[in-house]
Amino acid sequence: MAEKVSPTNMRQVGPKDLEITWTDGHVSTYPVVYLRRSCRCAACVDEWTGERTLRPEAVPEDVKPVRIEPVGRYALHFAWSDGHSSGIYSFDHLRAICPCGECVKAASGESPGS
Amino acid sequence: MFGRAKKTVDESKILEALRTVEDPDLHRDIVSLGFIKELKIEGGKVSFKVELTTPACPVKEQLKAECHQKVSAIVGVEQVDIEMTAQVRRMNVGAATAVLQGVKNIIAVASGKGGVGKSTTAANLAMALKVSGARVGLFDADIHGPSMAMMFGINSRPEVTEDRKIVPIDAHGIKVISMGFLSGPDTPVIWRGPMVHGAIQQLVRDSAWGELDYLVVDLPPGTGDAQLSISQAIALSGAVIVTTPQDVSLLDARKGLLMFRQLRVPVLGIVENMSYFLCPHCGERTEIFRHGGGKKTSEELGVPFLGEIPIDPSVPVGGDLGNPIVREKPDSPAAQAYTAFARQVAAQLSMLAESGGKSLPHAPIMPGPIDWK
Ligand SMILES: Nc1ncnc2c1ncn2[C@@H]1O[C@H](COP(=O)(O)OP(=O)(O)OP(=O)(O)O)[C@@H](O)[C@H]1O
Ligand SMILES: [Mg+2]
Ligand SMILES: [Zn+2]
Ligand SMILES: [Zn+2]
Repeated sequence: MAEKVSPTNMRQVGPKDLEITWTDGHVSTYPVVYLRRSCRCAACVDEWTGERTLRPEAVPEDVKPVRIEPVGRYALHFAWSDGHSSGIYSFDHLRAICPCGECVKAASGESPGS
Repeated sequence: MFGRAKKTVDESKILEALRTVEDPDLHRDIVSLGFIKELKIEGGKVSFKVELTTPACPVKEQLKAECHQKVSAIVGVEQVDIEMTAQVRRMNVGAATAVLQGVKNIIAVASGKGGVGKSTTAANLAMALKVSGARVGLFDADIHGPSMAMMFGINSRPEVTEDRKIVPIDAHGIKVISMGFLSGPDTPVIWRGPMVHGAIQQLVRDSAWGELDYLVVDLPPGTGDAQLSISQAIALSGAVIVTTPQDVSLLDARKGLLMFRQLRVPVLGIVENMSYFLCPHCGERTEIFRHGGGKKTSEELGVPFLGEIPIDPSVPVGGDLGNPIVREKPDSPAAQAYTAFARQVAAQLSMLAESGGKSLPHAPIMPGPIDWK
């Protein structure tokens, strides 16, 4: 079984970024509006087709989390300034959507280095 | 000794000697672990406390004897007084701290299928931890068949305080809250997903647990929504998986293990119940077909094996009388087996807390909540 990574630290950086440090040492910096648009809850993604029903432009550019809370040991829950609060972000999902260059490259198929 | 003036023994000599005593679970010497407290030296008299990470330490007596022997061997020491105490380390940080502030460790007792003795194991685990001197709570989260009220002989309903907190029922010094309290004996509640989630959350969060070293949670059997709900409602410090030697139950245990890994709840280990039969009359041991499967599974899956519990006809009797066997017949082999198992659980939690969860890649200590500024 592949080792799962979990956050060792999580903090707000400036007004717009959430930083997560992972057990493997990787550090992810997420613009919060990107996180809001990546919500996978039933209201934002079609349960059957998996298609995103949330239009990116429907999310105001200045959306902010109100509170971020761990869920059990495997996920984070976000309450947003636009009133949305049904999204649970599993750590697996969060890591998969890390927007850093390295991860984006790896996700698009060209695994870096190896 | 004749002719020699009484000289006070050097403190550094004593610490040096104690530095050679290692906690076998934490793999570090007891001085650097900060276990030595209130070291006092008066002439040849030395006294100190050894503060362990759990009163249920499996090697408490052994450590005490070793400290005694090593310090006594120092020249000039005439008398050594050692008091063994404990301060349970906290594994419950992050998500749960806001709601269960006083609870240091939350242990889930789980099984892949029903009837393997999960509730009996949870009851005796709680009882053994209590007997060791820890502050213990027990949460019966088995919505399908709560059984703790019976196992602890509880027939009253909990009271609710003015600030709407549910006061757990005291049973042999253990604070008990059960999903069974929500419904009367004649009015079974049909639980549906969202309701279960809300009810569990409310019960566990709104109960006045106070300060606890260990909160034992009896989970419903299986790997479904209810288990998921509980893992969401509270940040479990670790899970214990109960199996029997039967194949199918091992298969289920494996499923349970994978589920907890998914949820990143550290699996403290596997305990095999009804492992072998001890004749109550002659003490003869009869192996159960496939006995040892629990140990094998734990080795295969790379989790600790926490012990094996014999089949003992007094176990159900104690259960029916509201007196877990650890309390009813503490000297019986089954009670001793439960106690040894409880110590292993406590040791695993101490190790986890000590390593900050790092010893398990899946389960570091959770980050706390953030209020966005
Ligand atoms: N070591 C043991 N020796 C003898 N009987 C035992 C032992 N452990 C459990 N039992 C008995 O087996 C029965 C099932 O145990 P228990 O209720 O603890 O199982 P469970 O896994 O919680 O079951 P359920 O799935 O119904 O909640 C009970 O009658 C109990 O007294
Ligand atoms: Mg049960
Ligand atoms: Zn959403
Ligand atoms: Zn990245």
